Amino acid sequence: MAYSEKVLDHYENPRNVGVLEDDQSVGTGMVGAPACGDVMKLQIKVGDDGIIQDAKFKTYGCGSAIASSSLVTEWVKGKSLDEAAEIKNTQIAQELALPPVKIHCSVLAEDAIAAAIDNYREKNQ
Amino acid sequence: MLRDRLYDGLKDMEEVYVNGDLEHRIAGNLNISFNFVEGESLIMALRDLAVSSGSACTSASLEPSYVLRALGRNDELAHSSIRFTIGRFTTLEEIDYTIELVRAAVEKLRELSPLWDMYKDGIDLNSVEWVAH
Repeated sequence: MAYSEKVLDHYENPRNVGVLEDDQSVGTGMVGAPACGDVMKLQIKVGDDGIIQDAKFKTYGCGSAIASSSLVTEWVKGKSLDEAAEIKNTQIAQELALPPVKIHCSVLAEDAIAAAIDNYREKNQ
Repeated sequence: MLRDRLYDGLKDMEEVYVNGDLEHRIAGNLNISFNFVEGESLIMALRDLAVSSGSACTSASLEPSYVLRALGRNDELAHSSIRFTIGRFTTLEEIDYTIELVRAAVEKLRELSPLWDMYKDGIDLNSVEWVAH
């Protein structure tokens, strides 16, 4: 399988790898399952103004899964929660030129954003 | 034997599993699972090598190898497998190069793996309620 330049770049130089210290301002989403071959953990840190200040990820999965989660950490930063929730898997798949067999990686990344936002909102009701 | 040299260079790593029997197997074959590292991502790091994830019959599929499943491996370890086949022209230097490359790649990918973090924190991954997809 040929990987796009962008997938290779994110795989070789993943952005924002790591873990945010858990507190009230941090939302954590973990999606996928080891038995399915991919698990994404995405964390967002939200400022008092409701803007996502920081994002970190860790991913177990193929190169496209790693690239998808790395990309969304870049995309969500500087966005409001509503704006971040609007990121669609099709945008991720298009940006990374994912082949059809890897579309599920972009779906998982979209799910990870939603899960992180849900977790933050639950904590800050 | 080169296969044994390869295995000897990898077996002291944490959470490494040989798939199948070491005695009753083809001489030039090593199928091995690095827990918490997904096989295809490991292959990407080994672009200088010609290797396969899973068994030869499933390398084009996203499903974990049914052969490894039949050998008793769970889905997680089956997804984390990689197959090395040593050929007639493989050299000792190439084996040593492979060992170095694989060790570095597994270490890097484990740093990326949320499952590795959970394992290090003593969390039993079977106790987690995963959302299958």
